[in-house]
Amino acid sequence: MNDQHLAVRGASKRFGTASVLDDLSLAVARGEFVSLLGPSGCGKTTLLRCIAGLLRLDAGSIAVAGRDISALPAHRRNVGVVFQNYALFPHLTVAQNIGFGLRAQGVRAAEAAPRIAEALALVRMAEFADRPVTALSGGQQQRVAVARALVVRPTLLLLDEPFSALDRKLRETMQVELKHLLREVGITAIFVTHDQEEALVVSDRIAVMNAGRIEQLADPATLYQRPASLYVLDFVGQSMRLGGTVSAAGLGEVTVETRLGTVRAPGAFAPGSRVVVAVRPEAVTLTETPPGGRNTLAARVSEVSFLGSRTQLHLDLPAGEDRGVVELPRLPPGIGPGSAVPLAFPIADTMVFPAA
Amino acid sequence: MKRDPLGLLALPGVGYLALVFLAPLLLLLWSSVRGPEGWTLDGYVRLLGDPYYRGVIAASLQLALITTGGALLLGYPAAFALARARGGWQVVLFALIFLPLTVSIIVKSFGWGIVLRRDGILNWALLNLGLIERPVRMIFTEGALYAGMINVFLPFMVLPIFAVVRMLDPRLPDAAATLGASPWFSFRRVTLPLSLPGVVAGVSLVFSLSVAAYVTPSLLMGDRYMTMSMVMAKAFLNLRDWQLGAAMAAVLLAMALAVVVGAAALQRRLGGR
Ligand SMILES: Nc1ncnc2c1ncn2[C@@H]1O[C@H](COP(=O)(O)OP(=O)(O)O)[C@@H](O)[C@H]1O
Ligand SMILES: [Mg+2]
Repeated sequence: MNDQHLAVRGASKRFGTASVLDDLSLAVARGEFVSLLGPSGCGKTTLLRCIAGLLRLDAGSIAVAGRDISALPAHRRNVGVVFQNYALFPHLTVAQNIGFGLRAQGVRAAEAAPRIAEALALVRMAEFADRPVTALSGGQQQRVAVARALVVRPTLLLLDEPFSALDRKLRETMQVELKHLLREVGITAIFVTHDQEEALVVSDRIAVMNAGRIEQLADPATLYQRPASLYVLDFVGQSMRLGGTVSAAGLGEVTVETRLGTVRAPGAFAPGSRVVVAVRPEAVTLTETPPGGRNTLAARVSEVSFLGSRTQLHLDLPAGEDRGVVELPRLPPGIGPGSAVPLAFPIADTMVFPAA
Repeated sequence: MKRDPLGLLALPGVGYLALVFLAPLLLLLWSSVRGPEGWTLDGYVRLLGDPYYRGVIAASLQLALITTGGALLLGYPAAFALARARGGWQVVLFALIFLPLTVSIIVKSFGWGIVLRRDGILNWALLNLGLIERPVRMIFTEGALYAGMINVFLPFMVLPIFAVVRMLDPRLPDAAATLGASPWFSFRRVTLPLSLPGVVAGVSLVFSLSVAAYVTPSLLMGDRYMTMSMVMAKAFLNLRDWQLGAAMAAVLLAMALAVVVGAAALQRRLGGR
């Protein structure tokens, strides 16, 4: 991206001996929504707090709109934050919570009032203006938190697991609603989440984090179809993956011997390398005589899960690096736990990674 | 209306208080306006009409205000330090602040003697630092009295504030900062109002205790300094003047009540914004 709105360079942060951010770099374009996706404890909140100025980096720099803000305290950065569980001021009403930032920045009451009203209307909370925030539901509290952060017109909005306190049904509605609202406002936003489906819904690009580093930053389709590592492959979506050894290599393609048979995949590894081949569940079909350009394997079904619009077959594989999930639009007759099935998938869709 | 059976559990406690506290109190107030010849305000007239007693009331009030103010000034930041301290440090701070509670007032006053005497530690230190030329009289001065009173009553200020501050969400000041609030604005508009219930409890406690102080002033000042409690004791025990003693008790109670109610009202006004 050329129009870098946020640029984090070489960010490192330690707590005692634990390295929580490890030489991390991240660039976000103006108006873009980026998700930070990673398991609990990988440093997502720490990165947000460093960007907001609530924590100091040990090394590295943070620039917003070309200006280095690393040395500024939080209250001079103008970076908005929607906290996990919202951190609304419990002694203030909805309107007072939203007006807090304006008042803190010395905006006169006459100018603040219409901006508060506008923010209330934006999140459809106008009729709750004078309620205490403690009397609101989770979804309403989230809207107040968003309005409170937006009303001061931050240059960047950071949201730390904004949906984690909501139940599943409400979460799905709020994800779409919030994405739409932020797009309308035209702000640059970073969502933190540990839920890959949520990341796919709300963001333009997803940064997959692993132990204080960004493993891959890409748009959802690339992340799904071309994961940069086994870690990303496993974190985003499901797959069938088989450990094996490269038996032949050449012309940008490798041949791998796996427990279930020989697999060819685009890639470059020296013969003898330990690798893992993988394919996404929906790329696999059950045919004994497939058209050309496909790998074929024989496997046994251990479990069948009906998911409505599709059916998942779990394959009988020994525990370890092998994992087998295949998805079919509908279950062919006669297939159930214990059935032997022929698997076919395009060589072009087969991925190969160095074994972990 | 449905009755809450759990409410019955409060009965023993309420009954006990009624028996040992409320009944004697009412009896006392009664005896302050009831003489051998019927209703009378004689006790109050003699108390408030006498410049000596007015002086005692003023001195007690001043002592209580200075003690409360001093304990608040020292105790408020101490409560925050205690709430923010981690692991071992919290234990050390806790011990420093609350150990005095476990030491008898007699031991404490002996300790103050060692520190404040003419040949005491403080004089010795000041002399050696060259800050004074000859030993200064410290014990039996009002400065020593205030220091001693604050020492005795500080835990009663720290504990309720600590209990409230400990429960404050540390992300609230964070949220305020990301909204552009300076540390001072954030303290004034978020931390202070949310910590007020603790301050009100602490101020009420320390004022009520220190306005009625008896032991500490008499140990540190001797007979020359009279507090309301000392006058009360004298009236009851030496002069056998029940009316005067009871009137003094009523004035004391009224002052403590005024501060407790006033502090609560102040909290309601400041807390709502
Ligand atoms: N203030 C702190 N002091 C010590 N360790 C911390 C602190 N904040 C976070 N950590 C540690 O840093 C790691 C990353 O935390 P965090 O950024 O909150 O992860 P995430 O938000 O991805 O779940 C965790 O192991 C956590 O225990
Ligand atoms: Mg987190």
